[in-house]
Amino acid sequence: MKQPETPFDDPAARFEAGRFGMWLFLLVLAVLFVATILGYLVVRIDNAATFVPEDAPPPPSLLLVSTVALLFSSVTMQRALAAGRRGDPRQGGLMVATVILALVFLGVQAVAWVELVEQNLLITDNLYAWSFYVLTGLHAAHVVGGLPPMLVTCWRAMHARYGPENHRGIAYTAMYWHFLDGVWLVLYATLWLGSLR
Amino acid sequence: MTTLDARSPIAAEAPDNYLTFRRGLLSWLLTLDHKRIGVMYLVAVLASFFVGGVMALLVRTKLLFPGEVTWMTAEQYNQAFTLHGAIMVFLVIIPSIPAALGNFVLPIMLGAKDVAFPRLNLFSFYLWLAGAACAVYSLLAGGFDTGWTFYTPYSTNTTLGGVIPVLVGVFILGFSSIFTGVNFIVTIHKLRPPGMTWFRMPLFLWALYATAVIQVLATPVLGITVALLVIERVFNIGIFDPSMGGDPVLFQHFFWFYSHPAVYIMILPGMGIISEIISVHSHRHIFGFRFIAFSSIAIAIFSFLVWGHHMFTSGQSPLMNVLFSAITFSVAIPSAVKVFNWLATLYKGSISLNTPMLYGLSFLFLFTIGGLTGIPLAVLSTDIHLHDTYFVVAHFHYVMMGSALIAMIGGLHHWWPKMFGVMYSEFWGRIACGLVFVGFNMTFFTQFMLGSQGMPRRYYSYDQIEGMAEAFKMYHHISTGGSYIMALGFVITGIYLLHSLFAGKKAPANPWGGASLEWQCTSPPPHDNFSKTPRVGDCYDFSAVRWDEKQEGYVVDTEAHTASTKNGKGH
Repeated sequence: MKQPETPFDDPAARFEAGRFGMWLFLLVLAVLFVATILGYLVVRIDNAATFVPEDAPPPPSLLLVSTVALLFSSVTMQRALAAGRRGDPRQGGLMVATVILALVFLGVQAVAWVELVEQNLLITDNLYAWSFYVLTGLHAAHVVGGLPPMLVTCWRAMHARYGPENHRGIAYTAMYWHFLDGVWLVLYATLWLGSLR
Repeated sequence: MTTLDARSPIAAEAPDNYLTFRRGLLSWLLTLDHKRIGVMYLVAVLASFFVGGVMALLVRTKLLFPGEVTWMTAEQYNQAFTLHGAIMVFLVIIPSIPAALGNFVLPIMLGAKDVAFPRLNLFSFYLWLAGAACAVYSLLAGGFDTGWTFYTPYSTNTTLGGVIPVLVGVFILGFSSIFTGVNFIVTIHKLRPPGMTWFRMPLFLWALYATAVIQVLATPVLGITVALLVIERVFNIGIFDPSMGGDPVLFQHFFWFYSHPAVYIMILPGMGIISEIISVHSHRHIFGFRFIAFSSIAIAIFSFLVWGHHMFTSGQSPLMNVLFSAITFSVAIPSAVKVFNWLATLYKGSISLNTPMLYGLSFLFLFTIGGLTGIPLAVLSTDIHLHDTYFVVAHFHYVMMGSALIAMIGGLHHWWPKMFGVMYSEFWGRIACGLVFVGFNMTFFTQFMLGSQGMPRRYYSYDQIEGMAEAFKMYHHISTGGSYIMALGFVITGIYLLHSLFAGKKAPANPWGGASLEWQCTSPPPHDNFSKTPRVGDCYDFSAVRWDEKQEGYVVDTEAHTASTKNGKGH
């Protein structure tokens, strides 16, 4: 094989560049979420006494279920990546499990929303409701946005396409997925603390 | 002798260049070539510049008349200046240098084949188009009159139907800008060929790098801000709405946390171009390379710490005002470092007064005026008087147009022969530059007078301002006259540049005597930029550059060039 003359022609350097680019993209999203949380904190602290209305329901406990699902999806994702790096055919099953867990997460989030609406908490009622729907919705939008690359990765893993030489796609997907997992933990903690009177 | 083939006369006549590499509309629309993407951006940005310019002329023409006019209502006037601002900021100045010129030049200057993520690069161009389409749609949906700053609560209350579409457009344009930034940072970090160290990198690339850092860190805040504003308009509730416990000043904090750094997204690449132009056209090694390079980084860092100076009259705490005022002064240091280094580069240089250099010198004048008039705006006591007057309008036009856009036009002339392989008319170039310079100063210097005497910005009529209407009228007449002269200059520029595409003299590989890598490949460059990895020398060492009569251009003696760099004759 010919020795690559420039980094542009060198697959290893391109992979390294891709990982760096992905880190920068995650940094962009981190700034976006941090700004959102800061905005929430400002109005939450400005209205310390009145922010949570007397009769408002707390965040649904169902969110614990979705949190566990998301955490497990990170575990299966990481194991799928490890299998992909080795070229192990178990990568397919692990990716399928990850996709299912992601769908479970989204489904439970949706049920939690419905539950709140049934308790007459509408987004237009007050900033407490507004911030719950907007923050969880923003995160869910990023999960939904992650599904197409996730499905492509899953399809390829089911055909055992990833191996020691070629696991760029699954590596990028895993980075994004773990990031969303971490963001959710921070968001959930923020919303839960914010709902305390 | 194989090292010479990239710039031998035979290669210069070779049919393969990026323009002729493949033909047909699809070969452009689906291209992954950074040069073609840069050219598409250039066309799109210049078209937007035309529309934004027409809006400016409408606004200026209205202001010839102190009172109401029949052909433009106050509402239409509000829409016209809003459209002018939004188009010029989001569609023209922010993408002009990085996305158009930067895309074209960055990989070649670096000695790379392309940017790190060519597909992402094309995707960000289409995001730009989608954002522009949203802006056009917002006009069909009823227009918007919020000013380009979208301040709440006006932006959540105004009944015009175009507000949400244009906000969606700004959101999308923001991500276009972010992806360009990500691409450039990764390219500069990871794809430098062997020999291209950080301190051999041209200053334009340092500037683009500093810009990209701001694009990546600041733009997401704009994205979420306009997204929250859209949600607020849809549901009539949000964190910027005081009736529900929200905070409208929070919007201003969020907005300026992006939009102040965005000012440096506009000016830093311009400063990078000026470093190239000043050095190449005075044929002298840039003075204080490291100072200019690090001052770009310093400006990028400071840019995040000064946003509050837009809000001195918005009810910020006095302590915050003092802190923001003090930090704002410190931005003067890295900016002045650059200006002094450019002046020192000119000193004893053999200056060619051709069109790019004339734009470079214009920049030095206009940026100095723009920078120094920032000081009374950073001083708390004077800013109370000058806030929201024409003084502010004049100040930021000196920086954003007189500096950033003038640098862009200068860069366009500097790299035009490289981009299209043709020379434009130097005679008309100089005339047009002169018209733009004179027209610009007529337009905006008078606005300093207007502002310091109390003419508020964004006013439709000024006949009711007691005792001042006559004086204001005179200044407005001079200002509007200047804007027509400037417009004439730009029209001439458009004509001779287009003319050069069809009838321009063929450009040599190196028409100005530059030593950075883009001048070592043919004009226009081949599809792969370099037939083999170029050898990197000091890009500001002109000792090995000599005039070649046969090519009617300059030639860089690669051997001598890299050797003299190794001996430390560089910097």
